[in-house]
Amino acid sequence: MNVETVLGYFEYEFMQRALISALVVGLCAPAVGVFLVQKRLALIGDGLGHIALTGVAIGFLTGAAPMWTTLAVTVAASIVMEILRSHSKTSGDVALAMMFYGGIAGGVYLTGIASDKGVANLQQYLFGSLLTAGWDEVWTIAIGGTVVAALMLVLRPWLAAICADEQYARVSGLPVAALNLLLLITTAVTVSVSMRAVGLLLVSALLVIPVVTVQQFTRSFKATMFAAMAAGLLIAGTGVLFSAAKDVPPGSTIVLIGVAVFVATAVIAAIVHRVRRVRRAHLPPEGEPLEVELPAAKA
Amino acid sequence: MPVLNVSGATVSYGGRAVVRGVDLAVEPGEAVALMGANGSGKSTLIKAVAGLVPLAGGSIELFGTPQKRFRAWKRIGYVPQRTGAASGVPSTAAEVVSQGRLAHRLLGMPPKRADRDAVTRSLAEVGLADHAHCSVDTLSGGQQQRVLIARALATDPELLIMDEPTVGVDAETQAALATVVADRIDAGCAVLLVTHELGPLTDRLDRAVVLADGKVVHDGAPPRPVGEHADPHHEHAHPHANGDAADEAIWGGK
Repeated sequence: MNVETVLGYFEYEFMQRALISALVVGLCAPAVGVFLVQKRLALIGDGLGHIALTGVAIGFLTGAAPMWTTLAVTVAASIVMEILRSHSKTSGDVALAMMFYGGIAGGVYLTGIASDKGVANLQQYLFGSLLTAGWDEVWTIAIGGTVVAALMLVLRPWLAAICADEQYARVSGLPVAALNLLLLITTAVTVSVSMRAVGLLLVSALLVIPVVTVQQFTRSFKATMFAAMAAGLLIAGTGVLFSAAKDVPPGSTIVLIGVAVFVATAVIAAIVHRVRRVRRAHLPPEGEPLEVELPAAKA
Repeated sequence: MPVLNVSGATVSYGGRAVVRGVDLAVEPGEAVALMGANGSGKSTLIKAVAGLVPLAGGSIELFGTPQKRFRAWKRIGYVPQRTGAASGVPSTAAEVVSQGRLAHRLLGMPPKRADRDAVTRSLAEVGLADHAHCSVDTLSGGQQQRVLIARALATDPELLIMDEPTVGVDAETQAALATVVADRIDAGCAVLLVTHELGPLTDRLDRAVVLADGKVVHDGAPPRPVGEHADPHHEHAHPHANGDAADEAIWGGK
C-alpha cells in the first residue's frame, strides 16, 4: 500500500477521530488489563461488556443517553460481582459466567421491547463504529482514558499487591476490598466509555492481548505495564492505518493484528526460552544433599 | 502485654470445628512454635490470627487490641504457605519484597528512602541481594520462599508469623533462614512459627504449643526429638511435603 494514500485518509476528520479514539483505548486498556491478567480475571472485560449491553438497552428503553445507563449498569454489576466473589463460595469464574449469560440476554430482551421505538441497534455496540464517532465521544474517551491510566499508574504497587496475593495484602493491612472495587469499577468505566466508538470486542481484547504479549519477555511488573501500554498503542495505531488502507472495519482489524502479534511473539518466546535454558543466567537451584551413601567405586 | 493473645478460639468449616477452644499467648520477643500433625488445625488457627478466616467463638487480641479493631497490621510480618510457583504477570524479587512496605506508604505516594532501604536490606538478609531484579518465576522453590520471608522482614515486624516456611526448602536454606530469624528474635521480634517438623528453625524457640485434633495438648518446652529423630543426620521423607492433605480437603484444594 502507498504511504501517501494512507496518510491522505487522515485529512478526513472521521479518520482522525477514529485514530485518536483507538490510540487512547490502546494506551489505557492495557494499564487496567495488566492487573486483571494478574488476578486471573482476563475475561472480565468481556463479561462487563455483556452486562453493558443490558445498560445500552435500558438507554434505548428510557430514552436516556446509552453511555450513562451503560456506565451505571456496569458499575453496579461490578459491585455485585465483587460482593459475590468475596462473600460467597461462588468463585469469580461462576460470577463471570452468570454475567455473560444474564447480560447479553437482558440486552437482547430489553432491545426487543424497545425495538418498536425504532432506535435499537445493539450490533453497533458489540463491534463499535469508530468511523461514525463524533468529537464529543472522542473527548469523553480521551478524558476517561486519562483518568483511568493516571489512577492505574499511581496505584500500581498497591493494585499489583492485591492482585498477586490477596491474602497477604489483607494481612499487611491494605484496603483490599476498596482496591478490588476500584479496579472493577475502573474496568467498567473503561469498557462502557469506549464501547460505543471502538466496540466491546476491541476494548476487551485490548485489555488483555498487549499484556499477555509483552509478559513473555518482561521480568518485572512495572516493565510489563509500560511495555503493554506501548504495545497497545502500536497495535491500535497499526490497526487503524491498515483498516483505512484496506477499507475494512477498524475494530476487527485491530483485534486480528493483536492476535497475530501474540501468536508470533509466543513462538519467538518459546525459541528464546529454549536457547536460554541451554545457556542460563542463573545457576540451577542447589539440590538436596543425597540421602544415600554411594557404594565406593570398585578400583 | 502479650503481642498476641488467643483465648478460647474456635474455627469451624461447614459445621465441623477444626480449632476448638484454643488458648495461645505470645509475649514480646518470645519465639513460639505451633506444632501438630497434618489436620490438627495449626494452619487454620494461624489463618484466624491473621484475620483470613473468621472465628466461630473466642477472641483474638493483637498488641492488646481486639482483632476486629486492630489496624496496625504493619507491626506484623506474615509469611504465607508457599502456593506453588508464582505465575501470571512477572514480578521481580524486589517488587514482591516491596509489597511488605506498602502499608508503611501513603496510598499513591512513591517509596521513601526508608522503604527502599528496607527492601534492599531484607533481600540481603536472606541472601538474595544479587537476585533482586530477577523474575521470581526463574528462582528455585527455596529462593521463592526466601523472597516471601524477606517480604515479611521488610515490614520491620514486631511479630513475625510464619506458616510452614520450611516446607520444600533444602537443608542449607533452612539453616540460613534459622540464622536470619534468630537475629530478629535477638532484636526483640516475637515469632509465631507453624511447623510440623523439628529443624534448625526450631532450635531457637522458647516454647512450643502442640495441637491435636484442634485442641492444645502441650504448651511448654519445645519437644525434643526422640529415637531415630534425635540423630542429627536423620532426614525426614515427607510424603505430604507439598501440602497438607487435610488442609486441602478443608480449603477445597489450592
